[in-house]
Amino acid sequence: MDKVKLSAGNLTILIAGVVILIASFLAFDKISLPSFDEGGIHIGGGTHSFSAWSSHYFLIATIPALLGVVMALHVALVAFAPQVSMPGSVLGFSWNQVHLILAGQATIMMIAFLIQDRGLDRGIGLYLMLLAAIALLIGAILRIQERGSAPPLG
Amino acid sequence: MVDSQSPTPGEITIMVAGAVMLIFSFLHFGGSRNSWQSPFFPIATLLPLYGLLMALQIVLTRFASVKLPRSVAGFTWEQIQLALGSMAALMAIGFLMTDYGDKQIGEWFEIVGGIALVVGAVLLQRERGTGAIG
Repeated sequence: MDKVKLSAGNLTILIAGVVILIASFLAFDKISLPSFDEGGIHIGGGTHSFSAWSSHYFLIATIPALLGVVMALHVALVAFAPQVSMPGSVLGFSWNQVHLILAGQATIMMIAFLIQDRGLDRGIGLYLMLLAAIALLIGAILRIQERGSAPPLG
Repeated sequence: MVDSQSPTPGEITIMVAGAVMLIFSFLHFGGSRNSWQSPFFPIATLLPLYGLLMALQIVLTRFASVKLPRSVAGFTWEQIQLALGSMAALMAIGFLMTDYGDKQIGEWFEIVGGIALVVGAVLLQRERGTGAIG
């Protein structure tokens, strides 16, 4: 079997796409529940978390993860399933432009979620999704830069 | 031939949608809060901002004769309109499907405006013969 060599940009997108998907199932927000003692009995306490797929978060908070999955899926299909034919462009955009648009949108949305005051503590999932979105953007930029030195995949 | 001063349907759609979205962004988005207030700012503010950017580009180049660079980061202005319009529509669908409680008038107009932006951007492609669509 031939070894597939991914460029740095494509590898970054592939890894970041997987990370953002996994992170979307982790705590996006969390809330610490108060505890109190009643008649010598300890009641309540602990934390409750919400992922990007939870009610009140789906679909708006899930969009960055879905964008990352689309990007990673494109890279994976072009690299590992060459029999799958991809169009040369989408709505007049080259694939490098598509990656830049999707990654830019994912990053803008994750920065907005970071700034947004929802009255809850931010969870590890939100931070990981933000980092992965930034990585997607870096990967998209790398893809464009790599175009000059080597033919990009797709 | 299109009069250089009279806006096309695509341009009108984007300008109206952008203006309406900006105005309605100050009305109730959810509960008694608008999209510029917590807990909705800035995620819900992105939609009117995209609309404002798209409308401003049309207004400046069409009516104020402002000369903008032919492309930005390798994107033509028609491509930027389509990219912003598509992402606005995606967020509009996102808000439509997200259960924030009762949707208020501001949120409904943001959703409809987001869809209108992509419709306007698609019309713009056809009017300017970019070949991207149709």
